[in-house]
Amino acid sequence: MGLKAKRKLGNTITYIVLVIISVIWLFPFVCLFLQSLRSYNEAGGGMVEYLLPKQFSLDSYIFLFSQDSKFVRWYLNTLIIACFVALFQTIVVLCVSYALSRMRFKGRTFLMRFWLILGMFPGFLTMICLYFLLKQFHLTQAGAIPGLILISVASSGMGYYVTKGYFDTIPKALDEAARIDGASRARVFLTMIIPMSKPIIIYAALVAFMAPWCDYVFASYVAFGYTDSYNVAVAMQNWVWTNDYQGYFTRFCAGGMLVAVPVTILFICLQKYYVEGVTGGAVKG
Amino acid sequence: MKKKVLATLLAAVMTAGCLAGCGGGDGAADAPAADAPAADDSAEAPAADDSAEAPADDAAAAEPVEYGSGNITIWVAENVVDFTKEQTDAFFAANPDMAGYTVTVEPVGEGDAAGNMLTDVEGGADMYGFAQDQITRLVSAGALAPLTGANAEFVTSQNDAGAASAAVVGDTTYAYPMTSDNGYFLYYDKSVVTDPSSLEKIVADCEAAGKNFYMEINSGWYQPAFFFATGCTLTYDTDSDGNFTACNIDYASDKGVVALKEIIELASSSAFQNGSSVDNGTNIGAIVDGTWDSGSAQAIFGENYACAKLPSFEGSDGNTYQMSGFGGFKLLGIKPQEDAGKLAVCHALAQYLTGADVQLARYNAVGWGPSNTTAQQDDAVKSDVALSALAEQLALTIPQGNYPGDYWTLATSLGDDVISKTLSTSSTDDELMTALQSFQDTCISYAQ
Amino acid sequence: MGNSTDSGKKSKVGKFFSGVGYDLKEIGLTFTQGDWKTKVSYLIMGFGPIMRRQFLRGIAFLAAEALFILYLVKFGWKYLQDIGTLGTVARVMNDDGTISYNDNSFLILLYGLLTIIIIGIFLFVWRMNVRENRNEEKLLAAGKPLSTAKKDLYSLLDSQFDKTLLALPVLGIFVFTVLPIIFMICIAFTDYDANHQPPANLFTWVGLENFKNLFSFGTTGLGSTFLTVLAWTLIWAFFATFLTYFCGMGVAIMINKKGIKFKKLWRTILVMTIAVPQFVSLLYVYKMFANDGLVNSYLLKWGWISSRIPFWSDPMLAKVMIILINLWIGIPYTMLITTGLLMNIPDDLYESAKIDGASGFQMFKSITLPYMLFVTGPFLLTQFTGNLNNFNVIYLLTQGGPQSMKLSNKAGYTDLLVTWLYKMTVDDTNYRMAAVLGIMIFVVTAVISLVVYNMLPSVKDEEGFQ
Repeated sequence: MGLKAKRKLGNTITYIVLVIISVIWLFPFVCLFLQSLRSYNEAGGGMVEYLLPKQFSLDSYIFLFSQDSKFVRWYLNTLIIACFVALFQTIVVLCVSYALSRMRFKGRTFLMRFWLILGMFPGFLTMICLYFLLKQFHLTQAGAIPGLILISVASSGMGYYVTKGYFDTIPKALDEAARIDGASRARVFLTMIIPMSKPIIIYAALVAFMAPWCDYVFASYVAFGYTDSYNVAVAMQNWVWTNDYQGYFTRFCAGGMLVAVPVTILFICLQKYYVEGVTGGAVKG
Repeated sequence: MKKKVLATLLAAVMTAGCLAGCGGGDGAADAPAADAPAADDSAEAPAADDSAEAPADDAAAAEPVEYGSGNITIWVAENVVDFTKEQTDAFFAANPDMAGYTVTVEPVGEGDAAGNMLTDVEGGADMYGFAQDQITRLVSAGALAPLTGANAEFVTSQNDAGAASAAVVGDTTYAYPMTSDNGYFLYYDKSVVTDPSSLEKIVADCEAAGKNFYMEINSGWYQPAFFFATGCTLTYDTDSDGNFTACNIDYASDKGVVALKEIIELASSSAFQNGSSVDNGTNIGAIVDGTWDSGSAQAIFGENYACAKLPSFEGSDGNTYQMSGFGGFKLLGIKPQEDAGKLAVCHALAQYLTGADVQLARYNAVGWGPSNTTAQQDDAVKSDVALSALAEQLALTIPQGNYPGDYWTLATSLGDDVISKTLSTSSTDDELMTALQSFQDTCISYAQ
Repeated sequence: MGNSTDSGKKSKVGKFFSGVGYDLKEIGLTFTQGDWKTKVSYLIMGFGPIMRRQFLRGIAFLAAEALFILYLVKFGWKYLQDIGTLGTVARVMNDDGTISYNDNSFLILLYGLLTIIIIGIFLFVWRMNVRENRNEEKLLAAGKPLSTAKKDLYSLLDSQFDKTLLALPVLGIFVFTVLPIIFMICIAFTDYDANHQPPANLFTWVGLENFKNLFSFGTTGLGSTFLTVLAWTLIWAFFATFLTYFCGMGVAIMINKKGIKFKKLWRTILVMTIAVPQFVSLLYVYKMFANDGLVNSYLLKWGWISSRIPFWSDPMLAKVMIILINLWIGIPYTMLITTGLLMNIPDDLYESAKIDGASGFQMFKSITLPYMLFVTGPFLLTQFTGNLNNFNVIYLLTQGGPQSMKLSNKAGYTDLLVTWLYKMTVDDTNYRMAAVLGIMIFVVTAVISLVVYNMLPSVKDEEGFQ
């Protein structure tokens, strides 16, 4: 009896803690949502110090979809970047991982160590150089979208760890058997390994897909004042940080909701794969 | 093992190919730009005659040039993008000889525009609006084309003296004044603040009403309101290349300590908030801000909307000081161009966009205070509440000269030290003097 | 241990030099022993293979040489020759008010470096060309058939498949990662800053001046600021990593506890912070805790505080806030990772501990924690180095502030090395110091990774836990 009561008490405390945690975790999103529904009539869409809007309206959302705003374009830009990056980056990562996991060639360990060392340089260091490199290829300003895709994809080979770790767990005997039957490496890769790697492919694509939504630093550098090439992060970050945009706070919240909701839904649907990938990656190191 | 040849080769060939290709591409891109004016000679011959009629093109008329064609990018603040588009359309409609050019207007705020121009002049806009304090940085980065002859003449003849001098670095004019409203004053809520002439009373009123008083004391722009009030000076001398040659500063003095103490005193009030944007503020009782926020301020205060010059304060030495500050200007700059025709078009367009009519139209559209002397005489301008408060305040300020970029950072540091209570009401005069001495020494070190 | 790594390095250096010696010897031998086709190949690459009817390889070599020469003549040489000075002719103003751009130090350095690297690659290809000749001669002498073009191509899909797979990724990493990093390392030795900006102005080599500046502790030097920022960077990384780790594990244990329902719901709620882009969530959280923000005004209204809490303007409080809010961001990750791992711990370990009368905490201390630390050691290391460069959390919350007169060059009390680097690059265009700082970040990261990696139990003793 005593033990049961104790367990019950323990569970109750755990529930209380979990509820508190959930509230803390959800609170900012609830605020964001409520503020996005505030009417322009209150503080002209600027900051307020209270939580519940006195007057609800869809003003901010209507603005984002109206002709006055390029938000839809920025949204599509981000979506295009995210899709292409997800596609190409996954392909690159799969290629690199297969080569490093299955093939033994001269310079393999050198390549892996070299990439590891490269990864220790901070990414912002080379930002200015990358900007001018892209400019040489005419991939800034009007060409910023392909430029950003190129930059994300070009360096993605170094992020092979998780996928390689996954490939390492697929028994090599399968490869050997197929090769004895006369299949080439390419055939083994395309027709055996890839179909067996669905979870890790989804993981890689999901991670690649989510990154561009948050890129406000390099994307603003590359767009360089050419608004048609902005992504949502660049545009919305401008609303908050530059004084030019008066009354954009509720619009920021509305834009934030529009960005967060689809990405979150996608993420939660594919959560299983994400957990698998992240856990595998953590253990492999 | 041998066939690694192929892979490496592939890599080498591709790299070389790409780079040779883009190198060639650059050359090819340059070539037509250089040839274009010559090639268009015959086609646009009649245009040369028209150019004499173009309103502000005296310089070009002396030596007729073909304007050629191309694209002109303009960066202006977000709220005047549409306005600027309309005006440029009107300009090209009135000057068909220059219609070979198309214009792209992008919303890049004054701060970002200067930052971008400094990062990459070639990639930057052909014309851009910027706040006066950026001019020396832009000149030394080679991002501003100097104005000579009739163009410089235009600036001095059309604008008030302060605006004209703001566009000068050393003894060269570098930009067209666009507004002369880059100063600050007090917006307040009539129902909260009873007497806007005394800082102590404003703060007390705000405290009593549970409202906030906003002033951005960690900004090098607002901070001098205190220091200049007590009679301190801070100016820099520059040469024509945008180098700072000398710094005139006396912050490390008794006057400076009085000012700093006042800032500390203000920051210790529970009503005080550091900030200068109506939209980012909450529960505002009064705010020190500029004309660009007048729309938002009206929206927030409603019928209690009121403006005044900055208040005076009673210093720790018992004297009363009227708050001062900077009076500044917004300028329109032209990027140095490689093509003479495009340069001429840019100058003509800039003169149009900063001329009397457009400045007045801009005031009517977005409320920016004109720097053009004719536009300033307009009745609507003269009777504007915010602008008259500003005009009153500007009489008390010093025209903002040129300051090195590091000064703004340093001022933020000083202000942050006050806000974070590193310098507080309990600091001794010696401590404050040490801080000011270090501030002064650092300011001097920016001038070679 | 130190000795063994030392000798390891020595032997590697030794190997390298003996390798070079061997290479030179082989090049010499190939020339003296080779036939005339081989000898001509020393000048005209691929000549030998073409003559021996190895057209694919021969033409590839020949094309490489042709392209190389074309590149050098048309493009590379003009940049390479100026790399010592980085340009001498600045922009000039013409009489008609237009300007002419001349030497661009940036492009000279960038393409100069590229040319040097391409020369290096060419030498390597040339070396392969020599070896190819030698091998072909050997095969022919032994009476064996040479490979065919079809076989060569097929091998790219089979035994040489790695080349096919890696060619593009390696090229991409070379152009957009390696070259820029080498370039920026070079920038650390130049005076490329706001006053020396191409194309209007030139910059040039200044030797170690920038490094001296970083380590000078006078009034104008960055020394003390650098140390302050470095110290906070390390403290931040430590707390951000371990607090998140233990709290995340705690949450995972709670959710996994027997008898707790809606496990999936709890997890999903937490995971939302991963999905929502940080620039949205963090910017909002920043506004929430601002001096005039939601939290302060409600606390005031309810009478819980009498004066506003300076969440972001007090240096100490700002640091604490950043670490706490990072928990909000970081706990979901660790929760996800540890959940899976916790389930891997065999139940009978706990059962037997229970029989021995161990309390919950004792079990955690002697079973759960050692296992988790062992398994997630490398993960913790990557988290730590990741946190050293955690730009988003700092920049979106405080932008490094509050600043102080005690710190120079725009650094604030919550600046990490990487946010400081960002400010130098973007706000001040002070690339010379940014480059130096970037190198320092690399050094710090590399040293920590190396030291910690060798201390990890899972590295020291691979079989330890089984």
